[in-house]
Amino acid sequence: MAVDFQQVREQVKQLGENARQHEQSLQDKRKQASELLEHHAGNLQKLREKVLRVAQQFDQSLRCAVPVEAGFRPPEALDAHFPVSQMPAQVVVLAADGSQIAPDRHQQVRYCLINVGGICIQHGQALPPVIHVESQLFYGDELYTPTGTITESTLALRRDLHEREMLLNLAQGFSQPVVSFTDGPMELWGPREVEAQGEFRKSLEEYLKLLRQLAKLGVITAGYVDNPLADLVVRMLEVAGASESELSQVRAQHPLRGVTDKELFREILLPGERSAVFALQSHSAAQYSEELSLHFFYLNVGRDAHPWLARVEIPAWVAGNDEQLNLLHASLVDQCHILGAHPYPYALHRAHEVAVVSLQEKDQITQMITLELHNRGVGIGDKSNKQYFKDQPGRTSFRGS
Amino acid sequence: MKPIEIGRLLRAGTTGFVVGCRVSQLEAPSFGALVRVPLGDAYQVYGLIYDMRIDDDGLVRQLVTADGVDEHIIADNRINRNVPLEMSVLGVGYQQDGRIFHLLPPRPALCLDLIYLCDPQEICEFTAAGRFGYFRHVLRAQDLPVGELLAAHVQQVQRAHLAAGDPTWIERATRELITLLRDDYPTLMSVLGALADAVSGDVVGEA
Repeated sequence: MAVDFQQVREQVKQLGENARQHEQSLQDKRKQASELLEHHAGNLQKLREKVLRVAQQFDQSLRCAVPVEAGFRPPEALDAHFPVSQMPAQVVVLAADGSQIAPDRHQQVRYCLINVGGICIQHGQALPPVIHVESQLFYGDELYTPTGTITESTLALRRDLHEREMLLNLAQGFSQPVVSFTDGPMELWGPREVEAQGEFRKSLEEYLKLLRQLAKLGVITAGYVDNPLADLVVRMLEVAGASESELSQVRAQHPLRGVTDKELFREILLPGERSAVFALQSHSAAQYSEELSLHFFYLNVGRDAHPWLARVEIPAWVAGNDEQLNLLHASLVDQCHILGAHPYPYALHRAHEVAVVSLQEKDQITQMITLELHNRGVGIGDKSNKQYFKDQPGRTSFRGS
Repeated sequence: MKPIEIGRLLRAGTTGFVVGCRVSQLEAPSFGALVRVPLGDAYQVYGLIYDMRIDDDGLVRQLVTADGVDEHIIADNRINRNVPLEMSVLGVGYQQDGRIFHLLPPRPALCLDLIYLCDPQEICEFTAAGRFGYFRHVLRAQDLPVGELLAAHVQQVQRAHLAAGDPTWIERATRELITLLRDDYPTLMSVLGALADAVSGDVVGEA
């Protein structure tokens, strides 16, 4: 049965009727957020103390930006913006991205696969970029965790771990500076299922170990979030704007709800510019301590009249080192300019292109496993009936000669 | 002399085949060149390259709109990416047990078979065999730029025959074309015009 377009049409009409009013309300909130940003621009330490106090006393789940600690790096006003510096002649750019085939109980064989792609571009060397791919198949007992079975989220966790591991492997042995990045936040996100939380803790420990090794090597690393929808700075401004009596209720108060950081910084950052560096206040981010503690900045990788914002997450060892920060900033702008009107780091796109597993490839792997098991006389299950009917060809028409 | 490998077979039919190759292999073959596909048992198929295509994709389309493309990006796209690069080949004959036939091959080549560029000696052997029967296959291919294809081919073959001490091949070839096209004046004029350009260009080039 197809979509009932009559029903949808009514809802779309209603959406259109409310859209103008909604937009007006958002514009007012954006203006309010900009004013708060300007008002608190230089109030860094007091704001930091307030945010940390709220997180400690009233809302331990508070997730927002926080001005960096005094002395960690030169103070940067909340609305500060910094132009891109010259790209050095000698720099190595690394990117990694991953994709996966999740276990599918409807198929005749159960397996999963993680495929991680990476690219290494050596600027200043007359060498073509080198691509890498690592494919890892999980089958049989490998599909089980100590407390259950591999789920999509545990697989995604392992994939994230493999991506960072690939960056570490690729970064070895270079004498010139190395800039590396993955797509998405740096913070590792765990599965929600209780039984998978042991797996998450284990992966997190390994992840932190990898980050420490990257720090030891002096590798600049980052997570690139394209078209971010986060409101980390906006949430900080909500805390900044709350009176002392309102702080105890801050968890439920969202006067600027709907406004995103991207909208705030789009008005401030010129093409190529980055925002101030912020620290990340969050319960989960607290596991990243000292040199690994998470920071971020916004970056306008767009052109005149066509701003395009990205959020760049970085660990403290990069955030606290201006030389590394400038190099990361310049490399990301350079990478994004390669793709012209749709700015996105070229290296990341290529890593994705290498890593992505197509449906055709998935079918081929399934066929390879089925054939191998069949040749060895091992019993193979059946596709579920649900899958059988899904795989049936669509309607065909009669064609007369 | 080591045979020059120019790619592997993607798909084939009785009248021709399509070859896929890497960008780094694209320097050797040229439009109108004679190629061969050895298939074992003293059997090989011959063909003329009549089209070379480099297809684009979304990323390449995006890159051409950017300001200046870095050499690393060009190298990445040419060497690492799976850029579809295809050559179409018109079947013009085959060799069986040492004998060359200007007929369509009894069976086509198979996918992933290696394709080689014919060396001057092989060009002379194929084009001197019989009485230019393979021209038929070219003239029959209505959708191809017949004049240009024959001109490019004749130019390459003439060089091979001159180097082998046979200056008369081009005269015999031209006479045969006139005979084959005597009832098709427009095509004849087009072929002779292209041939004149090719041969005079060669003379200027040599001077």
